[in-house]
Amino acid sequence: MQAIGRKLFPYLAAILLLLAAYFAVAGERRAPADFTFVNGTEIKSIDPAISTGQPEGRIIRALFEGLVNWDPRDLSSTPGVAARWEMSEDSRRITFHLRDDALWSDGTPVTADDFVYSYRRLLDPLTAAQYAYQLYYVVGAEKYNRGQVAVGDRVEIERFDPPSGAPPHARGELLRGTLLEYAEAFVDDPAAGKTELSDDEQRERLRRRVRMYTIEIDGEARRFKTGVAAFRDEPEFDAYEPVKQVLVDFDTVGIRAPDDRTLIFELNNPAPYFVSLTGFYPLYPVHRETVERFGSPDWMRPENLVGNGPYRLEERAFRDYIRLAKSKTYWNAENVKLDVIDALAVESNVTALNMYENRQVDWTPVVPTVILPELKKQDRDDLRVAPYLTITYFRFNVTRSPLTDARVRRALSLAIDRPEIVDKIMRGGRTAATSFVPIGIEGYESPDCCQHDPEEARRLLAKAGFPGGKGMRKLTLLHNASEDAEKLCQAVQFQWHDTLGVEVELVRQEWGTYQEKVRNLEYDVAIAGWIGDYVDPNTFLDMFVTGGGNNNTGWSHAEFDAIIKERAPRERDPEKRLALMRQAEEILLAEMPVVPLYFPERNYLVRTYVKGLHNNILDVHPLHDLWIDEAERERQTAPRRKR
Amino acid sequence: MNRTTGNRTKGEHELERYAALWEEARAIRGTSLGRDAWRRLRRQRAAMASLVALCVVTVLALITPLLPLQPPRRVDSDRIFMPPTFSRPAALDLDKLDADFGRKDLDLVSRALLDARLALFGGWSLPSICGTDELGRDLFSRLFWGARVSLAVGVVATLVSLVIGVSYGATAGYLGGRIDNFMMRLVDILYSVPFICVVILLVSILSEDSIRTWLESWHIDRITIFYLVVGAIYWLTMSRVVRGQIISLKNEQFVEAARTIGASQRRIIFFHLVPNVLSVVIVYLTLTIPSVMLFEAFLSFLGLGVQAPDVSWGLLVNQGFNVITPIKIYWWLVVFPGLALALTLYALNFLGDGLRDALDPRLKNR
Amino acid sequence: MIAFLLRRFMWFVITVWAVQSLSFFLVRLAPGGPFTQERNVPLHVELAQRAKLNLDVPLYEQYFGYFGKLFRFDLGISDRQPDFTVNEIIAAGFPVSASLGVLALLFAVALGLAAGIVSAVCRGRGWDVSIMAAATLGIAVPSFVVASVVIILFVFVWPLFPAAGWGEPANLVLPAFCLGAPYAAYIARLSRTGMLEVLSQDYIRTAYAKGLSTRAVVLRHALRGALLPVFSFLGPAVAGILTGSLVIEKIFAIPGLGVHLLNAALQRDFTLMLGMVLVYTTVLYSMNTLVDLSYRILDPRVELT
Repeated sequence: MQAIGRKLFPYLAAILLLLAAYFAVAGERRAPADFTFVNGTEIKSIDPAISTGQPEGRIIRALFEGLVNWDPRDLSSTPGVAARWEMSEDSRRITFHLRDDALWSDGTPVTADDFVYSYRRLLDPLTAAQYAYQLYYVVGAEKYNRGQVAVGDRVEIERFDPPSGAPPHARGELLRGTLLEYAEAFVDDPAAGKTELSDDEQRERLRRRVRMYTIEIDGEARRFKTGVAAFRDEPEFDAYEPVKQVLVDFDTVGIRAPDDRTLIFELNNPAPYFVSLTGFYPLYPVHRETVERFGSPDWMRPENLVGNGPYRLEERAFRDYIRLAKSKTYWNAENVKLDVIDALAVESNVTALNMYENRQVDWTPVVPTVILPELKKQDRDDLRVAPYLTITYFRFNVTRSPLTDARVRRALSLAIDRPEIVDKIMRGGRTAATSFVPIGIEGYESPDCCQHDPEEARRLLAKAGFPGGKGMRKLTLLHNASEDAEKLCQAVQFQWHDTLGVEVELVRQEWGTYQEKVRNLEYDVAIAGWIGDYVDPNTFLDMFVTGGGNNNTGWSHAEFDAIIKERAPRERDPEKRLALMRQAEEILLAEMPVVPLYFPERNYLVRTYVKGLHNNILDVHPLHDLWIDEAERERQTAPRRKR
Repeated sequence: MNRTTGNRTKGEHELERYAALWEEARAIRGTSLGRDAWRRLRRQRAAMASLVALCVVTVLALITPLLPLQPPRRVDSDRIFMPPTFSRPAALDLDKLDADFGRKDLDLVSRALLDARLALFGGWSLPSICGTDELGRDLFSRLFWGARVSLAVGVVATLVSLVIGVSYGATAGYLGGRIDNFMMRLVDILYSVPFICVVILLVSILSEDSIRTWLESWHIDRITIFYLVVGAIYWLTMSRVVRGQIISLKNEQFVEAARTIGASQRRIIFFHLVPNVLSVVIVYLTLTIPSVMLFEAFLSFLGLGVQAPDVSWGLLVNQGFNVITPIKIYWWLVVFPGLALALTLYALNFLGDGLRDALDPRLKNR
Repeated sequence: MIAFLLRRFMWFVITVWAVQSLSFFLVRLAPGGPFTQERNVPLHVELAQRAKLNLDVPLYEQYFGYFGKLFRFDLGISDRQPDFTVNEIIAAGFPVSASLGVLALLFAVALGLAAGIVSAVCRGRGWDVSIMAAATLGIAVPSFVVASVVIILFVFVWPLFPAAGWGEPANLVLPAFCLGAPYAAYIARLSRTGMLEVLSQDYIRTAYAKGLSTRAVVLRHALRGALLPVFSFLGPAVAGILTGSLVIEKIFAIPGLGVHLLNAALQRDFTLMLGMVLVYTTVLYSMNTLVDLSYRILDPRVELT
């Protein structure tokens, strides 16, 4: 037996290997698409409410459609699901009139109620949507999203189980009433006796919170409790019924649908740009019935997904490709030119370039920066350069000495030779920063900053008590593991050392650690980047208000806060508002909790036969606007061997 | 062993007898295993050449600050991606040694060597015969400075893995039975941990500010943690290889013979069995050093290994990889670091081959 | 044999438990978490996100909850890729990784063994020297450099294969080659050493003495000796191919599992990382068991324990 086994063994092993190899190569080929492009890393989700990135946006814009669309030429709002809209006299009420022929891909009409449902879903604290704050312009939205309640408010109580007869993934049964009494308790309060809490302690404390509500429902006072800790066996909470959540009644939020075709928003402040905001993809509608029937993530499967966009999801292979097919029910289907589109998930820029050069894809939205000068030298007509609403900058941790001193921060900024870094070291593909808010916002003129002045830098540093860098401790410069970041930081490290004698230690951290260190202020200087969400200086400035979620510098300035939080939002004259913004930016640049470095450009390669791809500063390229000049494509591909 | 003064004469007499026996035994044993191997190794020209080459590389790495090289950290935006050249570089700027060489961070010996270099050569330095990189830094100089880190990582981590792996594997293989089973299952468990994840997470945890300051108070820096972690990972394979060899050897006659004359288990394992598996161990060792060096490159790439402005060969190869595109190839950034790595490994391999023959117990005293 | 497999299975369960527990606590100890994002979110959103991922209950509850689900083979929804369950991600990626790995291994064993044997038989001659030189180069040059050179050569200079992608047999060739090359080099060296070892044994001399040809001696008697070290290398090699493929997967845009293992750890995708560790553990453990079995089959002196 053993002997036979021994003799057969090599053959057996060989057969097994060959079989496996056969399975490896025996795959089905899919038919080529009309248009194939590289979409960067695998998208996080196609759920508009929880997605955040650029690649996600490209797919969501194809699958769903918002009230308005953005014209890729100038980013102005064009009719989407809404055929027209009007604004009240004081710019605080906007009424959208939905078109009749807007249909979901299952053939049912898109109604105003669908939008109300989707916006409530976006604002629901349980959705945990990062972009929920985009709706904070709407009356009552912030309160709803934050779960804040006050005595006397009309509230809605959500129970754990959906009402009988409702789809399995619908919201829990709702009760409505008026809040009579509210109390909070903390089980094993970690903060007992402490006055100041760190972020972590704050988090821990909130985890142990039990919220107790006494609510009048139909003339009867009932008691409810929420919070994870509410399930602990603590007798003091026994009298309360545990429920999922208690929020202000959504009817008090300023989003209403008087009929199927009309949608009205009531805003806190005059915000004419709110119309344009409804074209931002987190504010796209989702199909209530499928969401409630299948639940997440099943409702997003190709076989279940119902959208209202120009395309439907045909196939999705994880980290491989997404295939989009033209939707027959889309109201503007006759103007959608491409029938089948493949979006490939490719992580590496070099790989994307290889695929483009090998004619496997028609469009790659990013080009590796090292070879950009070579591409430019070749003078190709398929290389496009577009300004982009984004900035790369350094954060200073102003809570750590010696960076507490604004003179030190300014000296460090003055010592950076930005043109040299941009033109020679990073070799183009970006412009040296002259302000914090990038160039390209119409009507807004940033204050000037960021000259290179080594003399002044040395003088300032000496004045701060560190002549020639003497007496200054070694600073750390935190950066993430990316080629460009590493190069930039090494260059700045050298310039600071060379000009000021300031020693800097680079700390390269992988992604998660980097984020955590920035967030916990465990750094001296850290590289950072910011992409504007909408075309307004506010998207760059409001993160630096005291305690702002993305401040992460420890910087705080009363006047700056007042402008951003109070004065600018109330200003109704757009010009004056921008002047206020400029004032805020001046404060930021004088205090320098951040050092602007450069404004990256968008560089991409797209075949010349692809038409309808327009440059704009938000890098938005709706797929349904694209078309292909077949004659030109023939001409270009003919001389090459077809694959 | 004189117990009482009365026995002194007898004791002395015995001592003399022992001494005579000792002399005789020494004469019979002839040369030691090591000396014998050395004698045979010297006869092999390729192995000796490799040994010499490795020694030269090591010495050069050690005395790098003394050599007239360009500053490894000098960022020069006018010299970015310069192909290899023989034109003379600008003289050193003696005021900027801290920025250019990181003089402050150097240990005492290296700093003294750097000062000696300035005394010897002044501001003169060799041309960029290997070209320059994306920041205009001299690649030739960076190769030398990188050798210091790469060699240290390779050798130290491998030694750690060698010591743990050989003793563990040999013990398990020889003892056999339940103990062997248990020891090998333990190895299996450790094996089943994807060590890339573990390294990422460990290094992240250890780089938290509080833990980092605590470790630094014990003079344990990042690179030391790195040696230990990598060494502790690579011993697993070593122990399996050794055990496999020991199992097939332990029923051989020479082991029986040793057991018959009452040699202790430890003696049998370390004096009889281990020398017999040395050939395999050494071959494996010559394979481990490069893979540790490459692993270091991989980790540096992820931001977990060597930090800029320090440099290692792995880091240099990585940099080179990033500039191979169909549009433009900066070949020198791949070729020279690759060559440095490959040549060192060639030498290690030839030396390994030579050592294997030299250490073969069957060729003893020939 | 059955008893051996049963015992191994018991150890497998223990291994899974130990490794999963270790990873479970390690990944939670590391700074950051699945809710860490490029843009910080307000505290109330973060708390809601934590609650969604069930990370707001005490650690021991998370631990037992996880093992309870693991017991039912339910690995949960990926923390970072909420459109997919971990089971789905594994089901999609495993066949890809497996086919790539098997091809690479096939290539590595075939080429490595042949080269090693030829090299040992022709010891010291030109063939030996050049094969070993090539093998050393294979080990010394990182696979990502090999990959980029190969892409330049066989995609652009001589357009034979696609640059990247997945779904067609042609997509497999370059990645399998790049992935297998260093292992072929290792196998060549190991089998050469093993072979030389065997060739100096007495029974080989006996075989020659009874008049067998070199070919017969090598194939019938010495090959087994060459195989032993190769087999003990194969277990770890599979692990290396599984994790080492992440660079290759990235360069060739292949939707396999290798990248997940790294990304999940880097991005603190708790559920996906534990799932990937489970796959890794299972594959490795079965490979090592197979290696032990083949030891037994190749060398009757070895006893199974």
